[in-house]
Amino acid sequence: MSEQADFRRELIGIIPNLRAFATSLTGSYDRADDLVQETLVKAWDKQSTFQPGTNMKAWLFTILRNEFYTQMRKKGREVQDVDGVHAMQLAGHPEQQGHLDLQDFRRALDLLPDDQREALILIGASGFSYEEAAEICKCAVGTIKSRVSRARTRIAEILGVEGDGDYGPDSIASQIIGVAPAA
Amino acid sequence: MSDREKDKDVQSSQPQRSQAPASGGGGGVQAAIGKQLKAYYDDVASEPVPDRFLTLLDALDKAESASKSSSRE
Repeated sequence: MSEQADFRRELIGIIPNLRAFATSLTGSYDRADDLVQETLVKAWDKQSTFQPGTNMKAWLFTILRNEFYTQMRKKGREVQDVDGVHAMQLAGHPEQQGHLDLQDFRRALDLLPDDQREALILIGASGFSYEEAAEICKCAVGTIKSRVSRARTRIAEILGVEGDGDYGPDSIASQIIGVAPAA
Repeated sequence: MSDREKDKDVQSSQPQRSQAPASGGGGGVQAAIGKQLKAYYDDVASEPVPDRFLTLLDALDKAESASKSSSRE
């Protein structure tokens, strides 16, 4: 009866997660929201293929991810070429400046290969199981596991570059982006 | 389908779940990375749904019912 209303309602509940995932893929709030918008339109069109009671979140993530990579292929790699844009556009909140700075973390995340980054996000932040992440990314469960593991190791390496004490943005940024910090 | 608000804190209500174990070595470092990852994600995921999406869904809804009923007009 109100299947449509249920669908809509559940869809809306997942939008925050879609935006977060899209931001991690695109590295830009604006692009992320455009991607979410396209995802919603697609999802609406494909509504009849969704089985009520199954995992709508995984379904939507799959649509969003497909849309993203389709766009990437169309535009070449232009979408991702802007080094450091992630970090610059997504300014950290002051209260989150801690021993491990969020902005540094974003830069580190940026340095990961796309497949590792998305696996890490899906497992470590979106709350998907390895099985679900594998389905979303259309790969084997073992592949997701190894991508997550490599992503974690790599981030630790990147952030560990400065040793225990100092995670200062300048020093890290210079390490990562390869520019000399404005001393 | 109620309580959509809690969705972002809780694992989504999927049937099967195998939790991500903290792999990748270095307990303290990995814990810190896990926290940062959540902070990074929740920074966006905790924002309220922007109006543009609600407007969009309204429009899609209307377009659909309009096309259903307007076939004889």
